Amino acid sequence: MSNLQRDKLTDRIERLEGHAREVRIRIVDMIYKAQSGHPGSALSAADILAALYFDIMNIDPSNPRWEERDRFVLSKGHGCPVLYACLALRNYFPLHELDTLRKFESILQGHPVKQKTPGVDMTTGSLGHGLSIGLGMALDGKLTGKDYFTYVLIGDGELDEGQNWEAAATASKYHLNHLIAIIDINRLQMDGFTDEVMPKYSIAEKFRAFNWEVLEMDGHDMTDIVLTLEKVRLAKRNKPVCIAADTVKGKGVSFMENIRVWHGKAPNEQEYRSAMLELKGEN
Amino acid sequence: MKLRQAVIPTRQAFSERMVEYGSINTDFAVFEADIGYSTYTYLFGQKFPERYFNMGIAESNMVSAAAGMAAEGRTVVVSSYGVFLSMRAAEAVRTYVCYPDLNVKFLSSHGGVTAAIDGVTHQATEDIAIMSTFPNMKVLCPADSPSAMKLLDLALETPGPVFVRLMRDPLFDVYSEEYEFRIGGSHILVEGDDVTIIAYGDMVMQALNAAEELGNGGISAEVIDMYSQKPIDKETLLKSVKKTGAVLVVENHQKKNGLGYAVPHYLAKIDECVPFAHLGLDDVFAESGDYYQVIDKYGISSRHITEEVQTLIKRKKG
Repeated sequence: MSNLQRDKLTDRIERLEGHAREVRIRIVDMIYKAQSGHPGSALSAADILAALYFDIMNIDPSNPRWEERDRFVLSKGHGCPVLYACLALRNYFPLHELDTLRKFESILQGHPVKQKTPGVDMTTGSLGHGLSIGLGMALDGKLTGKDYFTYVLIGDGELDEGQNWEAAATASKYHLNHLIAIIDINRLQMDGFTDEVMPKYSIAEKFRAFNWEVLEMDGHDMTDIVLTLEKVRLAKRNKPVCIAADTVKGKGVSFMENIRVWHGKAPNEQEYRSAMLELKGEN
Repeated sequence: MKLRQAVIPTRQAFSERMVEYGSINTDFAVFEADIGYSTYTYLFGQKFPERYFNMGIAESNMVSAAAGMAAEGRTVVVSSYGVFLSMRAAEAVRTYVCYPDLNVKFLSSHGGVTAAIDGVTHQATEDIAIMSTFPNMKVLCPADSPSAMKLLDLALETPGPVFVRLMRDPLFDVYSEEYEFRIGGSHILVEGDDVTIIAYGDMVMQALNAAEELGNGGISAEVIDMYSQKPIDKETLLKSVKKTGAVLVVENHQKKNGLGYAVPHYLAKIDECVPFAHLGLDDVFAESGDYYQVIDKYGISSRHITEEVQTLIKRKKG
């Protein structure tokens, strides 16, 4: 890499880190205003979604249903504040809509709904279906001869659902090389640590056994995220790709990090102020 | 109304028409869950291999994947048995097909105890109740091969999810080419003045046989094939009931939450309260065996209809 390329990458990474910070601020803010939601799950995916929505994905916010666009399926639908924040910050809808999260007649339902929110490619929320949905989208791309990528973000807890492995086998059978599953491995699910609730063993090895190409990345290191996602787009292959992302639940708000209860709890006023100070770097 | 011995079962007729329709509509895809030689979707796979996907023995994944493809704008026909589609894949049908109102059509074989010989695990006797309950879902149930073929076209031409209940074995044919079918439609197969018998699927044959026998005894029964289970043809129902003053619903399904719940619910709401009888599986599971023996044991054969109508007529007069 030349110095110029390195400088460009550094600028790009700094820009994306700024977006990720803004996404986190919006996540905590909207969940605080709703007094309901899943901050831990949203925060662990903030860096990955910032990279996708502000850099990697080929999308056009002024034309949410553009046929050539890359698709995104949030299989862990309860983490939707991270998706809503990215969509609003990319102008799919006005930022003030974020204040209506989970409220009556809002376009921002408690879990993502295709027909209500501009930019949401598919309804999700009941766990274990996202990879199946994504493979259906990727299969359609093959059938129509379009070369868009379909990204599916899956929680590690969600891998308890056996349907993931039905989908893994099917995607492999049909050589869906433009299907990219990103596993948000934050090691916590609602009732506790994943290995206590239901051991996951090696997620990477399981996907390899289904003949997927598997890459691993640090889900909070923006350089690693960008280079990994870029590599996946450029390389030629005839199989689907799984990216096992090492993450921290609640990442960015220190008192939420790795704490079970922040899976699905809104901050009170004091916690909100403390989180905002930390995220805005003012303490 | 003359009954003709059927040559092929409705599942085969539906799939054969799907192959023909594949040349008319060159866009839709077919998903199968490893029973393609039973549902006859393999015929579509032979003619259109690029649009035929065998998703393995994994019905829920199949339906969610169909939802993903349909979200891209392509219609998908999903094929399996009623028990698997309506129960194993129920959540995918509800949340990912019906909620986003996607163009997924369900080719659902082995409806009711028409899969008698296979036993209870393969007899879909709650499918209509489950599928009818999902918002946006339309439910169709052809009585014979000609109507199964027409309903394939109707399902593919109707926006949103459509569930089509088919049968395992060839039983009888009643319709000729000129009959037309629509969502929310029905056909009066025999006109009568004393009682309205409402049936669908294989029960149409039993109803027609009963009507003939009742006629011999001087009771004039009107027989309606309510092939559209959701929505039902309220107009025809009301007109018939106003004329006859009594109604019997017979169905190869659990009584609970079947057509026999929808019909009186509608009539009661508009104060059209007439003597009513209902034949169906009475909160029981059936069993393996010959189809005709099974429907007779479980109370839905023509003799049960005849007996029940005779009682109904007395209630009407009383």
